[in-house]
Amino acid sequence: MFNSEDKREFLIGSVLQTFIIFHWCLAFFYAPVDIHQGPVYRIMFLHVPSAITAFASSLALCVFSVLSLRNRSERLMAWSKGTAEVGLLFTILTLATGSIWGRPTWGTWWTWDARLTTTFLLALLYAGYLLLYGSMAPGPGRTRVCAVLGILIFADVPIIYKSVTWWRTLHQPPSMIRQGGSTMDPEILWTLVAGIFVMSLYAAWLVRVRGRNILLADEIESASYASFGT
Amino acid sequence: MKATAFDQYVTLVRQGLRAEFVDKERLVSPVLFALTMLILFAFALGDLDQSLRIKVYLAETLLTALFALQLSFSRLFEPDRQDRVFDLLRTYPVSYSSLFLAKYTLVLILGSATLIPTMLFGAFLHQSANQSLFSWLVLGISILALAGLGALGVLLSVLTLKAQARQILYPILYFPLTTPVLLAAIQSARLCLEAGVTSPELKSWIGLLVGFDTIYITLGILLFTELMDES
Repeated sequence: MFNSEDKREFLIGSVLQTFIIFHWCLAFFYAPVDIHQGPVYRIMFLHVPSAITAFASSLALCVFSVLSLRNRSERLMAWSKGTAEVGLLFTILTLATGSIWGRPTWGTWWTWDARLTTTFLLALLYAGYLLLYGSMAPGPGRTRVCAVLGILIFADVPIIYKSVTWWRTLHQPPSMIRQGGSTMDPEILWTLVAGIFVMSLYAAWLVRVRGRNILLADEIESASYASFGT
Repeated sequence: MKATAFDQYVTLVRQGLRAEFVDKERLVSPVLFALTMLILFAFALGDLDQSLRIKVYLAETLLTALFALQLSFSRLFEPDRQDRVFDLLRTYPVSYSSLFLAKYTLVLILGSATLIPTMLFGAFLHQSANQSLFSWLVLGISILALAGLGALGVLLSVLTLKAQARQILYPILYFPLTTPVLLAAIQSARLCLEAGVTSPELKSWIGLLVGFDTIYITLGILLFTELMDES
């Protein structure tokens, strides 16, 4: 049976899925073909928004962690865990799409490039966070320990962002936000901006749904402990 | 008379050093591990070209030192846990910042005891007739790296104290988080050996290393208190 909250989430999810399909239509039919790379470059419309969402997730994780340390809130902790899960999902998506794009463009599925390696490290950190969360008993202790790790993970992001300018890498330097303005065709740029917007909204919704599910799971776990005790 | 935070710090450092010297194999085992690793690397890599010597020396010695340091950091609170000193300490009016700084100082002392012999032995193994790889500046850069790694080591040691399977979790969290420090240390040391101290890039790499040291030490002091409240 669906309650009103489930129905609302389903509705929001459906609207966001429609936005995603609309964005894909823009990516396939509105954005022109790149003269150097051909149609394969279109994977960038999934890759770049995923990467930005993965990095933004670490910022959100840091903010939720600071707030959960300050307010001792279980709700914020659930959101933190949801953010780490979503962050991991989008980091894997970033690596997978980058790898698929890299095969025809660079001639290899994977190279130990600075941007790729640091992004892979971010995935490991998200996975480490989730492992730590899962390996501790529920309670304020877990909230604090995971919050501290959530703050530490954010320290890795500036390295990933700056890696393409600090090292000589295969990965191209930033072309959207750079000194002297973007080098992209306006149609490509706007399709990309739309993708980032839609993907961020979708990630925020996923965090919200996962946070709610985690809280429910915790409540069920506490209730089962309570019934076991009586 | 109530002890000042500095008195507490000095007492905790002394107590930590005494505990370490009682159990001498804990002190010596990371160094022996590092030296064994270096010999294994030397056997595996064989005779190297002159052009590769510096890169291999730095990667090999700093990575070996990192593995060895991880061994000693992950066991940092082990003596305190075994003797229930940790629980007792939490009942005393001890400033947690003093405790962090005491453990951090201990890590720097013990870490230097591992790092310096590893760097010297690594330089000795890779030296050639016309090139000595030992440099005071590289040693200084390694100590700077140790400053960041140590702060992170103390913090993660408390962080994983209550986690199940902490032996596996510690390296999973430690190695990715140490990447910025390790990268900055290797790049600055490489520039120092290849291009000399006049290299324009050297300053920015050392700046990055100092920046991450500052971030990790500050976060360490701030977050250690939060962790101690609940551990």
